[in-house]
Parts: sequence; C-alpha cells; structure tokens
Amino acid sequence: MAETNAAVARLDDAEQIEADAGRVSKITEVPVGADWNAVERAMLERRSIRKYKRRQVPPHLIRRMLEMGRYSPSQGNCQPWKFLVVRDAAMIQGMEEYCAGACKKLSTSFDYTTHRAGSLRHFATRAKTRLFNRLQPNMLHPVPMTVATLIAQGRFAVFHRAPTVILLLMDKRGIGTPEIDIGICGTNIVLAAQSFGLGTCWIGFSKLLNQSREWCARLGVEAPYEISEAITVGYPVGDPTRPIARDTHEIVWFEDGKKEILY
Amino acid sequence: MALLSKQERRHFPDWDDPAQCIFQRVDIDVEKCDGCRLCTLVCPANVLEVYVEDSRKKARVKTSQRGCISCNNCHAICANEAIGAKLANDFVGFYRQLGRGPFSLPRKF
Repeated sequence: MAETNAAVARLDDAEQIEADAGRVSKITEVPVGADWNAVERAMLERRSIRKYKRRQVPPHLIRRMLEMGRYSPSQGNCQPWKFLVVRDAAMIQGMEEYCAGACKKLSTSFDYTTHRAGSLRHFATRAKTRLFNRLQPNMLHPVPMTVATLIAQGRFAVFHRAPTVILLLMDKRGIGTPEIDIGICGTNIVLAAQSFGLGTCWIGFSKLLNQSREWCARLGVEAPYEISEAITVGYPVGDPTRPIARDTHEIVWFEDGKKEILY
Repeated sequence: MALLSKQERRHFPDWDDPAQCIFQRVDIDVEKCDGCRLCTLVCPANVLEVYVEDSRKKARVKTSQRGCISCNNCHAICANEAIGAKLANDFVGFYRQLGRGPFSLPRKF
C-alpha cells in the first residue's frame, strides 16, 4: 500500500483512522434552548468593572488567570506576550499619574469641546482635530477623547484604583498580527477572572506608558516588547451581574446555496 | 461599492453637536429608583448623578449625556431595574453604526 499523504488522509479517512485507533472523539449534544453552561455564564456576566473593593486579589488567582492566558491560541503558536503584574499601590499610583498627565495633554490638544465655543482656541483646536481625525480615526474618536477629558479633569481614574494591574506586553516580532493574539490572550485571562468572581477592565490608555522612558525603564519594557494593553483586576463593588440588553448585529448566513440575514 | 457614501466617509462628526454625536440613551424610571448611587459609581462616562427631591434621592442624567456608550453597566448593577439604555450610541458620517439590530437580552438558541 502506498504511503498515504497525511493531509489527504485527514480529509478522506480521518473518521476511519479514529475508529481503527479506538480513540473516537465524543460528540456532545447540546439541546436547543439549553441553559447557559459555566463558560457562557462567565461571558454573559462579564462587565468592564471600574469600581473595586479595597481587598487585594490572592496571588494564586492571578497565577491561575495568567495560566489561561498562556494557553490561548496565537498565530503560528508564536505566543507574542509577556505579562507584568503590578500590585504595588505606590507604583500603580505613579502609573496613574503619568497616564493622567498624558491624557490631559491629549484632551487639551484635541478635545475642542472643552474650549469655549466661539473662542479662537476652540476654532484652532477643532480645525487641528478634524485634520488629525482623518489620519487617526480610531484613536481620535469622540468616545476615548471624552474619557481623556474626564481623566484630565480628575473625574475618572485610568487604572480605576484597582488593587492589581496586569500589563500585557506584545512582542512586536509576532507572526502576522500579534495585536490580535494579545486580544485573545487577554480574553482568556478576563474570562478566568470572571469565573473566580473577580472584575476586570481593559485599559487601552496604558499604552501611553510606552512614551515614558522613565516608566519603560522602571517596568522593564524594552524592545522588541511594548505595552499593548492592561487589565485591571479586583473585586467589584455592588453586584453587577444582572443580564443586560445589547445591540444585535447583522449575521449573514450562507447555506444550501441560499443567503439569509439574521440578527 | 461601500456601505458609507463618499460624503459620509469625509464627514467627521462635530463633537460639540449632540445631533452628530448621539449619546442621549439612558432611561431612568424615577418610580423604581431608590437613589442608592451605585449607577453613578459604575458609569464609565460619569454622566449620572443623584439629586434630592421631596427629601427622596433619585438618579438623573447630568446636563449632558456626552460619552454614554450604552454599556448598560448601570442596568447591570441596579437592584431595581430602574435604569438602562435600550439604544446604541451613534454618530453621523464616518462613524455611523452599521448593521445593528434592536437591543436584546441574551438569547438561548
């Protein structure tokens, strides 16, 4: 018998091979309308938590979360992440102050709504923002800029006074699009945290720390790594588990030569 | 072919104009609200506050809802189902929301 090409075998004979080997994978039947399982429940009950109790998270839970991050899928199995765990209150406060300062600069430079309507400053800032908007439509978006202004005004904290901050560093040499791998890795971490009854929030403004030579040195952020995201962790205040309504999104479904639009 | 017209792609909404950056999305049922302040704590846009009327505390939206992203954190934390957003925030022009259907609770299929 000619040697079977592995790729072809996978297509044609895979089910025969699993039967012969006595390792037939079990098919789990999930009935229509079944109750949420534990994983779904974690996904549905996860909120971005921005108010935390003072109580610190036990270190073994952080290790368990990072373990789930370690097992997340990545392009070419390149695992382009590095984790920094900051639980030192003074250090988190220092990071907070740096990022808040940077947000203040962002806010005054771009959020023209903070300048008096009709003033020269309003006019000039608005013109600049509208120009930069075309070049940076994702960052210079009215939603994050509103948050930057809240932070600048001291009405909001970057790291939400969380007892633990996990910085997700990305190896810029990662295969394909390492940003996506960091997102997947962080999602595993966040869902693990949710399953322990912890609250988390993604902190995009943490990227501002990359601009600080001082903070990069202090945290040990060196090329080819850069801070990609941060996740704050702590016990949530209140009980934010009531199911919420969300937007439905168009789903385009192709099957049996037909196309259907679902929501 | 594109979902946004050429004109829309060029139009960046005016941040000052509530008709172009549409954030007016939170509804509060003052009958159910007991003024506990939890929603004011969890709102990421800091648009909620509690006021006193006839010596009873009630939540309300500040003068501007700018920044409300319909995250429904307020609904998730409210013990009385007194607050929540039933519509997404939206923009005119470049950032116009696409392909959205009505809000829905988690559905079991």
